Amino acid sequence: MFNSPFFTYFWRFAGAFSVRSKIMGIVVALALLLGVGITVQVRAVFLYTLEERLQEQGVSVARDVAARATDMILVNDLFALYQLLEETRNNNPDLRYAFVVGQDGSVLAHTFGVGFPTELIEQNVPRGDDHHQTILLETDEGPVWDTAVPIFDGRAGYARVGFSENSIQTSIARLTSQIVLTTVLVSAIGIVAAAGLTWIVTRPILQLKEAAEAVGQRDFSQRLDPWANDEIGQLTTAFNRMTVELAQAEQERAEREQLRSQLLEKVIAAQEEERRRIARELHDETGQALTSLMVRLQMMNELCANPELKTQVEGLRQLAAQTLEGVHNLSVELRPSVLDDLGLTAALERYIQEYRRHTAVEVDLVVLGLEERLPAPMETALYRIVQESLTNIARHAQAETASVLLERRPDRVRAIIEDDGVGFDPLAANNGERLGLYGMRERAELLNGQLTIESSPGQGATIYIEVPL
Amino acid sequence: MRNEGRRTRDERNERPLFLLIVALFLLVGCGRPTETAVVNLSDLRPLAEPEATTVKPLRVAVAAIISPRGTVDSYTPLLEYLQQELDRPVELVQRRTYGEINDLIEAGEIDLAFVCTSAYVVGKREFDMQLLLAPRVQGDTVYYSLLIVPADSPAQNMEDLRGAIFAFTDPISTSGRNYPVWLVQQMGETPESFFSRTFHTYSHDDVIRAVANRVADGAAVDSLVYAFALEREPELAAQTRVIHQSPPFGIPPVVVNPDARPQLMAELRDVLLAMPHNPAGRAALQAAGIDDFVPIEDEAYDSVRTLETAVNLAVSD
Repeated sequence: MFNSPFFTYFWRFAGAFSVRSKIMGIVVALALLLGVGITVQVRAVFLYTLEERLQEQGVSVARDVAARATDMILVNDLFALYQLLEETRNNNPDLRYAFVVGQDGSVLAHTFGVGFPTELIEQNVPRGDDHHQTILLETDEGPVWDTAVPIFDGRAGYARVGFSENSIQTSIARLTSQIVLTTVLVSAIGIVAAAGLTWIVTRPILQLKEAAEAVGQRDFSQRLDPWANDEIGQLTTAFNRMTVELAQAEQERAEREQLRSQLLEKVIAAQEEERRRIARELHDETGQALTSLMVRLQMMNELCANPELKTQVEGLRQLAAQTLEGVHNLSVELRPSVLDDLGLTAALERYIQEYRRHTAVEVDLVVLGLEERLPAPMETALYRIVQESLTNIARHAQAETASVLLERRPDRVRAIIEDDGVGFDPLAANNGERLGLYGMRERAELLNGQLTIESSPGQGATIYIEVPL
Repeated sequence: MRNEGRRTRDERNERPLFLLIVALFLLVGCGRPTETAVVNLSDLRPLAEPEATTVKPLRVAVAAIISPRGTVDSYTPLLEYLQQELDRPVELVQRRTYGEINDLIEAGEIDLAFVCTSAYVVGKREFDMQLLLAPRVQGDTVYYSLLIVPADSPAQNMEDLRGAIFAFTDPISTSGRNYPVWLVQQMGETPESFFSRTFHTYSHDDVIRAVANRVADGAAVDSLVYAFALEREPELAAQTRVIHQSPPFGIPPVVVNPDARPQLMAELRDVLLAMPHNPAGRAALQAAGIDDFVPIEDEAYDSVRTLETAVNLAVSD
């Protein structure tokens, strides 16, 4: 029933109005309905009662006239009859007319003065054994209740009296206007009261709505005063409990987040330190060892006369040279000392130079305004992000060209890495890729920066990094 | 299919609402008979004069010895009998006083009249009202004036009614006015000095009711009417008491106007005299409280004349 098309239509209609309009509408509609209903009903009952009384009055007066007219008619005292009718008319303001018809059908006396509306006679002719006969006559002056009573069992004719409904109509009109006036007054009072009530009822609802919107904006400090212990008051209390719990949860989350980033920062710092140490170790210890090994092998080669041995030594020296290069590369890969020594620009130039050598991707580096060194954690982070991005491009993008833009603004540093590869859906990247992207983002966020990826399949990819100074 | 089912259900839901609205309108409209004749009450026209009847009705007057309604009840069968026997319409004419009837008879407006004794005496003297017949009641053509008082009244005779309220019938009634006035005059008084207050009821049955209901402390009444009234309203017997009866007077006669055609008089006489000889006539006589009709002579009313003269002389003194 509640999901019938009728109700759907009803809710679409009712839902288009605010609660205030609805309450006001209900009050006004109720007042109107009540007013109209009462007016109609009271009018009907009043009319019915008054008409009944008018009919009873008509019968009573007609019978009185008939009883008193009997002797007058029998002794032909027409003047007394006329006086009787006049007296009757004077005593009954609603009496429109009275007349007496003799046994032969002629009018013996009447209250019309000069002349008589002759068509009236035939309208209501009683039989001799009737107690009375009442009909409703439509006249040019409005409805008239016409009562006929036989005189002396009809042997002396009959008496007719007509009572006009005009006074009833006047009373009804007066009553109706009174009721309508009362209805309007009561409605006006009701509307004012309803307006006040609506304000009282909807104020907490509107406050709740505003507070809920604030909570939506992650403002969990909202607390409302529950005005009353009604449903809305209970809702307010529940809302307050919810914001308290949300605030607590938010605080816990923020603390966890802070711990996590601190931990991450430490992990990354430790990792970098470890890399730096290993790189230095490789460079200083292993590199030195390999270099002296090569020098010794060179000297051995010069001292050695045996050509076969000489060849063997030369092979060893070359192996040592290759291993030295491998160690060097590994060292640079782990942590280019140039990053610490000469800064981000030099490190990136060096890295891209190496990158070009190892991959088919044409990379273009543009650095603007970076004459001064940046803070070390920022340099490391930016270097690692660019490194990770270019590694990803080489692995997945099938790109021909890529470009790296690094720009220092007064208050921030911006980096843009772009490629013309196959692109990807950042939300649908597979787990490994997502982890890589996540690491990049984490690094940016540790510096209070932001990392944005714009890409879609077939459209290449652009990564924006902004870090405040 | 689903939509159709839903529509049917919605229609079913709307039907009671519709019926409710219709019922409301019916409720408002009820209580009014549907009479739709429209009459123009300001369209006043002169009333048509009664059409002149082709057959002149026989106009029969009955003096207001008893009340107009009582007269209609008592005399209607007799008039209907006359109408049938004479084969012409008969019209009953009543007036409030004896005098008005006498005037009508004198003017020739009345063909046949049942008048009271004194009205006859006056009519005979003034315009030669003609006697036709006299009714016989309880075997005789006389009646009496009875002095009546409420049943619980201590009064035993007229003397005891000094200072009382006394009701007369008609100003020229023998039994209802002249005889009691004569009684008062015998005591050297006038009605005005003897009674505290007097009034006229014009008919005899009303005077009995006046005494029965103690509107009057005493009254004089036609013995025929009294007997007839007691017969029809036995409770009156318990409420009234007769304390005095007058000498006999000639019974109220049946008369015709002085210019009545002899043929009509003969015809009327024949019809009235023949009444006891057929059932319809007997029933009509019984309703009027009459045994039959008999011829009567003017001398029968001499005692009435004597009384009237005595009373009028006393009044003119």
